[in-house]
Amino acid sequence: MRRLALFFATIVVLLGGAAAFDWWVDPFGDIYKPGALTAALNQDPNCLVAQEIVGARYFSFKLDVFHRRPTTRFVVGSSRVLKIQSHPGERTFSNLGFPGSSPETILALFRALPAKPAQTVYIGVEAFWFNRRYSVPVYRPGPYDLAQYLLNRSTFEYAVRYVRQGHYILTHRWKREQVGKSCVIGRLYPSIAWKVDGSRVWSWELAPQTFPPFHAPPYSKDLATVRNGYYDGWTSLDARRMQILEQALELARRRGWRVVGFAPPEPPDYFRLVRANPQLAARWREFLQAMPALFARSGSTWADLSNGRADGCRTSDYPDGFHSDAACSDRIRARLDEVAAR
Amino acid sequence: MLFNSFPFLYLFLPAVVVGYYAVPRHRLRLLLVVLASYYFYAYADWWFPALMAGSTAISFTGGRLLESTRLEQRRKLVLTVGIVGVLALLAYYKYTAFVGGYALSFVHVITQQSFPGLHSFVSSIALPIGISFYTFEGISYMVDVYRGTLRAERDPLRYAFFISFFPHLIAGPIVRYGILQPQLMEKHRFNPDRVRSGLMLFTLGLAKKVLLADPIAQWVDHYLATPGSIGFANAWACAVGFGFQIYFDFSAYSDMALGLARIFGIELPWNFDRPYRSASPTEFWRRWHVTLSTWLRDYLYISLGGNRKGERRRDVNLFVTMGLGGLWHGASLNFVGWGLYHGGLLAGTHHARRRGWGLPRPLAIAATFLLVIIGWVLFRMRSASDIGGVYAGMLGLHGFGGVPGHLVAYVLVAGAVVWFLPESWRLPLAEWSALRVAVVAILFVVSAVSIYTSHPFIYFRF
Repeated sequence: MRRLALFFATIVVLLGGAAAFDWWVDPFGDIYKPGALTAALNQDPNCLVAQEIVGARYFSFKLDVFHRRPTTRFVVGSSRVLKIQSHPGERTFSNLGFPGSSPETILALFRALPAKPAQTVYIGVEAFWFNRRYSVPVYRPGPYDLAQYLLNRSTFEYAVRYVRQGHYILTHRWKREQVGKSCVIGRLYPSIAWKVDGSRVWSWELAPQTFPPFHAPPYSKDLATVRNGYYDGWTSLDARRMQILEQALELARRRGWRVVGFAPPEPPDYFRLVRANPQLAARWREFLQAMPALFARSGSTWADLSNGRADGCRTSDYPDGFHSDAACSDRIRARLDEVAAR
Repeated sequence: MLFNSFPFLYLFLPAVVVGYYAVPRHRLRLLLVVLASYYFYAYADWWFPALMAGSTAISFTGGRLLESTRLEQRRKLVLTVGIVGVLALLAYYKYTAFVGGYALSFVHVITQQSFPGLHSFVSSIALPIGISFYTFEGISYMVDVYRGTLRAERDPLRYAFFISFFPHLIAGPIVRYGILQPQLMEKHRFNPDRVRSGLMLFTLGLAKKVLLADPIAQWVDHYLATPGSIGFANAWACAVGFGFQIYFDFSAYSDMALGLARIFGIELPWNFDRPYRSASPTEFWRRWHVTLSTWLRDYLYISLGGNRKGERRRDVNLFVTMGLGGLWHGASLNFVGWGLYHGGLLAGTHHARRRGWGLPRPLAIAATFLLVIIGWVLFRMRSASDIGGVYAGMLGLHGFGGVPGHLVAYVLVAGAVVWFLPESWRLPLAEWSALRVAVVAILFVVSAVSIYTSHPFIYFRF
């Protein structure tokens, strides 16, 4: 019996040790670390939090951002709303959008947020969310996912690799670094980073000398490649996701929140593509017709801002041909504030 | 569910073992394991358990009828119907695509009609994993009852346990009911030494799979991706590498199966006994996949007349037995070719022995190893052009090529394990010291964290 106990004890100790080490180093950013945001907020002026620290735990990070600020106004949506930021000195605005958003994540986020104080909410709605083929990445991993991550050889190997590159990681999970003119709470490769209001800063904005600016890929009409293929094979508006979005809007209405939905701005080329492509145009029209009615049913407002040019956003305002830059996003924010004030 | 998977190692196995020893009544334990095994099987596809239940019902009923029927002719009829019943399931799911594909190609050549609907139908038939194994177990049970060497089982629960017991369900060993039945009559008390021994045997199997078979597979697959231009060194390294890969893969599964069964207090028959130390093809088949080779001998070769009807008939029987054995591995001509090749080796061994030809044992071991390795090319490559490409490479027709350092290193390690270490199931694991127990536990941890890059077992396909 003692040797059986020894067998199990050895396994438990070694696996537990490896899991604890993997959890601490977290080489793939699968563990949310609230202390990093605390460290960023403790600096004056506030530091940024590096993407390598946030990793894929956007949902937890954005919830944390919300709770750390006296938020009364926030935006949610995909990566295309991430440049919408607070005005200088404004502490009541938060950006709670993140890559891989969808009606499912928005409903989950609304449920996780407190009902009070009442909020003004901007929802950047992507048409491709209603393509059934668009799959939502795991945004809240369960204990099983976590265990798989922590008891994995590649996690361990990369954790060892990280520690070899920066011995301080054994005692400190992050450090304060200067990247360009910005202070960043990072680790080994701080590039893309997040402001404490939840908006995103590109690597080339942080340090133009170190990181080259993005280049938009050549214009393409192939739906299999355009926007990561999100529009490919889209045959009808996904009724299930429409229903989930409606549930989120209904929850907001019950809480007395003011909601403005909007279609994020498209670069001119793509604005033409979505309206003219024979496979896409009909879906796009259905989407633009369905949204105002959907939002109106819960007393919310819809603003079609997909024609970025109408709000002064030129092709050069989309550095990668997909995401709007800060200048364009500021104009969108102004339009949203205006619609919300009506 | 794979043995080398997260859900199996950390959820399924602990839950079933704890449940098994927590349940006080023997029959409830049997029921628990049967239900767990059906769940284990359903994990691959929800409808697989229905197929296994059908096969179980046919062979169980066949056994009961065989025992209650007195007339010899009627007994033969019952046996035939029973065997055809379970074989029909295997034939449909495993061989329809193979036979139908060739038949449609033949019809196409004659009539120029392509029948796309039929083509897509036959190619859409999915092979339920494990069906080859439990079909053979059902047949052996019915034949044993027919021959009078085994009493028919009256308890459907015990019989369902025999067919479905998850350690041997997917890839063997092919168990005969005569071995399992006595072990199912008694309640196995929790014995820490036996449980530890089972866990350690399972761990040694897991380590063989994850730390040897999988890395070798990675390199072999890499070099065999372009068989048409493979050089001499790569071709031989791949052939030898695959020989070790399949041994470590399959013997690992067998060790894991034996270890798992032992945790439940059940001893399954071993399947491998250092086959690459064999000094002749005959000896090789007494050491390689033993539960299959003895099954083929007892239920096919002997039924065909074995060696009782003269040399020529014996040779024919060997070719038929090994050809069908090859076909059992997979519905593909390369497996038939591999089986016939071994049939030829076995027949040749008999003739050589009769003429008094022989080699000193070390040379005979080397020659047998070489012949077996040459045969593995037929097993590993699917098409005639790929097989030809690798053989051409082994003959140096594509030049010498570079030496695959990583693969050679793995082959050397694998060779040392094969030739200098005993089979895991032979080790007196229950008597091992605390230090060795701790080392095996460390091996478990190293293997368990490596399972994400692990490949499915080769014999899952059969």
